[in-house]
Amino acid sequence: MRRRAAWTTLATTLVVAWGLLIGTQLAGVTPKLGLDLQGGFSVLLEAPEGTDRDVLDTAVEIIRSRIEALGGVQEPEISLAGERNIEVQLPGVTDQERARKAVGTTGQLTFRPVYSVSIYGVSPLYLEAAAYQQAEVEAETADDLGETTTTEETTTTEAPTTTTLEPEPIDLTTVLPEEIPLCDLAEPLEGQPGCVDPETGFTLSDDPEKDAWYLDPEPNSLGQLEAFHLGPALLLGTDLSDAQAGFYTRGGSGGLGVSSTGTGEWAVFLYFSGEGSNKFESATKELSYFAVGDSRRRFAIVLDGEVVTAPSISSEIPAGEGISGGSAVITVGSADKPQQEADDLAVVLRYGSLPVALEEQSVLSVSATLGSDSLRAGLIAGAGGLALVALAMILYYRALGVVNVLGLTVFGSIVLSVYALLGETQGVSLTLAGVAGVIVSIGITSDSYIVYFERIKEDIHRGRSVRLAIDHAFKRSFRTIITADTVSFFGAVLLYILAIGSVKGFALALGIATVTDVVVFYSFTRPAVALVARSRFGEGGPLSIKGASGISLETAQ
Amino acid sequence: MKFFSRLYRGDIHWDFVGNRRRWFTASAVLLLTSVLALSIRGLNLGVDFVGGTLVELPNPEGISVSEVRDALADIGFEGARVQTTGGGEGIRVQTEELDADQEALVVEAVAAVTGADPDDASAQSVGPTFGSQIAASALRALIVFLVVVAGFISIRLEWKMAMAGLAALGHDLVLTAGIYALVGFEVTPATIIAILTILGYSLYDTVVVFDKVVENVEERGDRHTASAIVNMSMNQVFMRSVNTSLTSLLPIGSLLFVGSFLLGAATLREFALALFIGVATGTYSSIFLAAPLLALWKEREEHWQRVRRRMQRKGTEDEFAARILDVVPEAEQEGLPAVLTGAAPRPPKKRRRRR
Repeated sequence: MRRRAAWTTLATTLVVAWGLLIGTQLAGVTPKLGLDLQGGFSVLLEAPEGTDRDVLDTAVEIIRSRIEALGGVQEPEISLAGERNIEVQLPGVTDQERARKAVGTTGQLTFRPVYSVSIYGVSPLYLEAAAYQQAEVEAETADDLGETTTTEETTTTEAPTTTTLEPEPIDLTTVLPEEIPLCDLAEPLEGQPGCVDPETGFTLSDDPEKDAWYLDPEPNSLGQLEAFHLGPALLLGTDLSDAQAGFYTRGGSGGLGVSSTGTGEWAVFLYFSGEGSNKFESATKELSYFAVGDSRRRFAIVLDGEVVTAPSISSEIPAGEGISGGSAVITVGSADKPQQEADDLAVVLRYGSLPVALEEQSVLSVSATLGSDSLRAGLIAGAGGLALVALAMILYYRALGVVNVLGLTVFGSIVLSVYALLGETQGVSLTLAGVAGVIVSIGITSDSYIVYFERIKEDIHRGRSVRLAIDHAFKRSFRTIITADTVSFFGAVLLYILAIGSVKGFALALGIATVTDVVVFYSFTRPAVALVARSRFGEGGPLSIKGASGISLETAQ
Repeated sequence: MKFFSRLYRGDIHWDFVGNRRRWFTASAVLLLTSVLALSIRGLNLGVDFVGGTLVELPNPEGISVSEVRDALADIGFEGARVQTTGGGEGIRVQTEELDADQEALVVEAVAAVTGADPDDASAQSVGPTFGSQIAASALRALIVFLVVVAGFISIRLEWKMAMAGLAALGHDLVLTAGIYALVGFEVTPATIIAILTILGYSLYDTVVVFDKVVENVEERGDRHTASAIVNMSMNQVFMRSVNTSLTSLLPIGSLLFVGSFLLGAATLREFALALFIGVATGTYSSIFLAAPLLALWKEREEHWQRVRRRMQRKGTEDEFAARILDVVPEAEQEGLPAVLTGAAPRPPKKRRRRR
């Protein structure tokens, strides 16, 4: 390499590399830290086998919307991982339970008419069956008594006593509509749509076209645990186009409404799609025939086999007149935190159904202190490793070792800047595994120097002059390094594509480091060594290149 | 000192190929031990692979493990595994998989004993199938990687080199796994990452070594036997390998040290441990296994057989002469530097100047 060309290349490289670092730092662009370095919460969800890519993409979008709707999460990261995994990363999130709910809740959203309500948390189906059985027994007893009076047979009197003392297990099939099966708990529930738990009488597998028995897990304002017998779905979640939480003032927005109490309160505003608004109107028309106070004037919004809310048609709606206009209001009444309640309900309504059932594979929460401890440990390890490598290289290669140390700063500047820029533009974050990857690549980067330097030494041993040696050695070792780095790079790319979780972060670091290594080798190491060779550190003295090759000391030529 | 200064100048002449039996035997013994350890003791799989919940809390007052264990037993978690981390600054509890409520219970119980703030707790819950998924994805990455890299090396260098490289790689993997089984280190996702890195590293190293062989074959392929050329190449790259291992092991050692003594760096330690073992075996195997394997294989090729016959006819002693391989009994070679057997590589007589 000619002196001028060497100077130009070297100067350009240094300006670009250091300038990038200083520039990004000044612009306030620093690497984005992964949640294992700053604390936070992450979940890995898994979809059933054979789930379509499109379906997963939709699920990712829905989860993202739900998380954003939760509010207060800075830069949530929801991404597909592997073939059927979704990785949700929420840096800085502390309210784990709420987040977990927002992420994991799946299932179909249905609007169903209420047929009957029991207020003791027991399925109406169960009560019906019990009542039926009781009636049977009584009828039997009545028959028996009748018989006894006429024929006076002593044995028959025992029958009623046994049934009352040891009640038979309630047989739900006596009152169960024909199309609804009892669940076979040994079989997967997905294959038994609409089935009912034979013990409790609650529906376990949702089928929008059949009757269902569901519980509202939150007690109502009177402290009662309501269990519902519901009809087939009137509307599905897809009929809803939007839902917003807001403050509702009676009369203010035109008297549409479903309400529970009072004026001026937190509410959820529902907006239906074209078809949905017709369905909703005809459904509410039916319901409005029932008297105010009748539980059949209510409908239930069901998600995941749980009644989310079961509002009643407002008393202001006259019989036979449904709620038209494609919108409605659900007031949340006197909850503890009405605003949050309305918000959460709106979120559920808006993004109610994930297109696929997701299972939590792994849940990780990292406290902020552990995160910063990890970061500190990573930095200390990195600094230590760097110092040790620098020391070893200078001791061994002398003047060339200094080139290596300078080269490491160039390498470090580029890697840091790349991370900062990737974090800013692509949302890529630096994780602990990434830090480890970068630290490991310090050693691997040094290898390209070693390959080159050893080559130079060898060529000098063969009798080449220092200047010739560095050029020849560069050609050969650059070839070697390209080959070897290609192998590393393949590895990194494949890992990045195929792996999940922390492996990905590591693969990214390795890939960035490998590419940077080649760039630094070509645009920094080569001109720097060329210039050293031309300076007095080329051939003279034990510190020079020639000195480091061990020749000038003993067998000076 | 003489030895080191020669080493420093790269002025070494060791007969790597000739001494292959020694290395092959050593590796066979190590591999056998590893396989035995793997089949008898098995791997100590971490929470990510068996499923369960891991809770970590600071331990500012240095409360003992048994106190924490008692506190957990009081609330019904008798089977919990309790360890200290970060040199006693942290407490780590491992139980079967817990839901959010149970997890909160455990955190509170431990925090009450150690006096830590429950908000400082970190937790990880893993379902039983998660690990198999990570392992499956890693395995898939591994297979694709090996196929692609073998293809690349075959095209760029030679397919026999690809095979020899893969053999060395397999050796490194089994050895690393064997050491994990033998010592009982916990296998975590970080270990998997490290092992995947070892793959890359081991192949990288092999490529550097074989690239030298290819270069030497180009330069003097007609004048020396295959074994001699491989030997020559090994001697030339030996210092590179030693130095590279050193510079790779230094930062890894730094990770290992920091990871063992600082809180919050458990992942770093797990990671560094596997790497440390892997890098060491990777360097060893590419020089002492892959290279002799390659030499043996190439000797069978027609071209190299011809070269060998010609050398014998002319009666010229090859560098790292054939007789070392064939005639001299094993015992006589032991510890004998190749220089003394007249096996020093000379610089080529005619230097081809390359532009």
